[in-house]
Amino acid sequence: MKLLAFAVAASALWAQVTVEDLRRAPARDWLTYAGDYTGQRHSTLTQINGRTAASLVPKWIYHVDGAKRLEASPVIYQGVMYVANTNEVHALDARTGRRIWYYADNSATRKDANRGVAILGDRIFFVTSDAWLVALNRKTGALLWQTQYGDTKKGQFATMAPLAVKDRLIVGISGGDGGVRGFVAALSAATGKELWRFWTIPAKGEPGSETWSTDFDLQWGGAATWMSGTYDPELNLVYWPTGNPWPTFYGGDRKGDNLYASSVLALDADSGRLKWHFQFTPHDTHDWDAQSWPVLLDLPFQGRPRKLLVHPNRNGFFYVLDRTNGEFLLAIPFIDRLNWATGVDAKGRPILVPDMDPTPDGRKVCPSLRGASNWMSPSFNPQTGLLYVPTLEQCGFFASSAQRPVPMLNLGATGEDPTKSDRGRFYLRAIDPTTGKRRWQYPMTGNGLSRPGTLSTAGGVIFFGDDTGQLVALDARSGEHLWHFGTGQMMTASPVTYLVNGKQYVTVAAGMDVFTFGLFEAALPVPKVKQTEEP
Amino acid sequence: MKPAAWILWAVWLSTAARPETTPAKNPLADQPAAINAGRKLFVAGCSACHGSNGEGGRGPDLVRAWFVRKASDGRVFDTIRNGVPGTEMPPSRMADQSIWQIVAFLRSVSAPAYDLPVTGDVEAGKQIFFGKGGCATCHSIGGKGGVIGPDLSDAGKSNPLMKLRESILDPNAFLVEGYRAVKVTTSDGREITGVAKDNTNYSIVVLDSAGELHSFMKRNLRAVVFRKSSLMPSDFKTRLTARELDDLLAFLSRQAGRPAKKDEQ
Repeated sequence: MKLLAFAVAASALWAQVTVEDLRRAPARDWLTYAGDYTGQRHSTLTQINGRTAASLVPKWIYHVDGAKRLEASPVIYQGVMYVANTNEVHALDARTGRRIWYYADNSATRKDANRGVAILGDRIFFVTSDAWLVALNRKTGALLWQTQYGDTKKGQFATMAPLAVKDRLIVGISGGDGGVRGFVAALSAATGKELWRFWTIPAKGEPGSETWSTDFDLQWGGAATWMSGTYDPELNLVYWPTGNPWPTFYGGDRKGDNLYASSVLALDADSGRLKWHFQFTPHDTHDWDAQSWPVLLDLPFQGRPRKLLVHPNRNGFFYVLDRTNGEFLLAIPFIDRLNWATGVDAKGRPILVPDMDPTPDGRKVCPSLRGASNWMSPSFNPQTGLLYVPTLEQCGFFASSAQRPVPMLNLGATGEDPTKSDRGRFYLRAIDPTTGKRRWQYPMTGNGLSRPGTLSTAGGVIFFGDDTGQLVALDARSGEHLWHFGTGQMMTASPVTYLVNGKQYVTVAAGMDVFTFGLFEAALPVPKVKQTEEP
Repeated sequence: MKPAAWILWAVWLSTAARPETTPAKNPLADQPAAINAGRKLFVAGCSACHGSNGEGGRGPDLVRAWFVRKASDGRVFDTIRNGVPGTEMPPSRMADQSIWQIVAFLRSVSAPAYDLPVTGDVEAGKQIFFGKGGCATCHSIGGKGGVIGPDLSDAGKSNPLMKLRESILDPNAFLVEGYRAVKVTTSDGREITGVAKDNTNYSIVVLDSAGELHSFMKRNLRAVVFRKSSLMPSDFKTRLTARELDDLLAFLSRQAGRPAKKDEQ
């Protein structure tokens, strides 16, 4: 046999992931962190359903050497799974969990969590901790290009999964708890060239800059963009959440609303121009980043079809906005204990309870620093019409000081005292997204420290990680328990589902490992394959 | 050399007192002429135990050993000068300059090629990579080239110069996992050739020359035939002149993956 004979130039006839693929609700493949552009995390697969979920068994486990805490939502395309960890990507055979290729950027100067890859065309994209966007050949892991889009010397680093939109990747930046000026940027998928950048803290003199006190604030005031956003292709708007202002817990020297911190931004995907914004927590002093996913729903609201953006916010309110123009429609607490505001006004601005800002002596405020829902992903099931939200009931004891802030050296002028804060309890809550009313809830045991999100399926099953490291399946309508599996590790990532060779799988990254489950099948005999070696 | 002697070697290098007169830094560091002279001296006097490029034999591997890589130049100099008591490593009576030349050579075989000066012409090497050498048929750099050989986009940062040279002249010297040539025959008689990205008793993933991935369960295969040797041609010694080889090495050694940061440009 002349194996050498096949060594000819590669053709470019590979299947390409298109923007149309990314628009579709997940079925065979899972193509973005949230499954598609809507952030609904709902798969149309039905093989695993209320009748079969009890037969789920582990199919394979992939150990990520050196991982501290996997936070990535895997992306799956044509039977290949892409898992990101700090400064690296692993491509796995999604049927067996065996590694096909591995890419590590050993030049990176930081090591932070990584929440996943983007896929477009024949490329995989991910960010390094020191804020380079890297493009890889999705079949081989070969490096195509990498480009620096953030600067660690300015407090910027990166943890989010890029979002592929049209011919570009939308990226954000971390660092909001140590002083940074946040931004959202679009980089060409072909070359990495920066196409636009929107600063989440306006420059001096620009609209919004009057909501800060000093030039220092405008340079270092935070509003990081450390989670991915969602996208409406028809409106051509990218919806991106922003983080807290800085110093996080002391607002005495940054008087004003501090735009565009703790907000959601609607940005034109072509130009990066701000179409509208909505600030959930003006002048935030409790680290209530707005990093929970903005979920896009087309539903009747008060009898009229609307394009909605819903957001279970870290500050404890569940928000409904019109995503075409940012019009405020509804805000209602989705936690039982919310003590910092009595409600919201007609424009959605919180009506504050006096003296709830952190003080040197401390203030007990609900929700806690971890928030009513943090960056873990909610999901929406069109069949039940319910939004599934990981929710934490917890009050925190917040303290502050007027310590002079030094960017990248001290944090947010104190914070929460865990010894005086509640232990907290997680619930999975099913919420009617047009009213905010709770339909059912699933209480969890645990210590209130986990961060996994949820997955909805057309099989009528909701998957989520509970607060004790169990992957749990619930009936989407009733919240009744169907199945669970103990991973033995805390989960800080959200489950996904996909189909290979006609079989549905569910995957979640937990701790240091990637776990994949499928329906039970009796083992088939493995005939001995003739395996030989020739010179 | 027996394991105990290797340990003695390591302990000696890491703890032996160094005379104050020996500078910590090699005065001939990174000088191509010194490296070449050091190579000749090493081959003549050291290679019998340590291999012709320091890869080890009776004596320790000097390319990968932490006790060499972590030691200062002065410590390595002293070890050559004084030998390692209790082992077969004898003291040397060579002139200081000769020992420094050997130290320069040892550093060149373990340091990333990117960190060392090169004698070849980088641009000429690029022409060879994408032209006469045929390297890009299988290898890629920055997305340009083939898929069935390892990506070389950071070849200079991730390989010593010696390893790059050896890999070109003797493709079987460093076979990379995931690039073994294979032909699988399915139970219905289809044949797929490529490189095995993964192989177990139960499954195999093959990347074919068109860049397509094929995942098989072994129970669906009739036969799997691996090629023992590398797919890479082994005639580069004659295909390229010495000058062309230096040019190609110069080009490969400049491949760092990351371009220079904006503030370094």
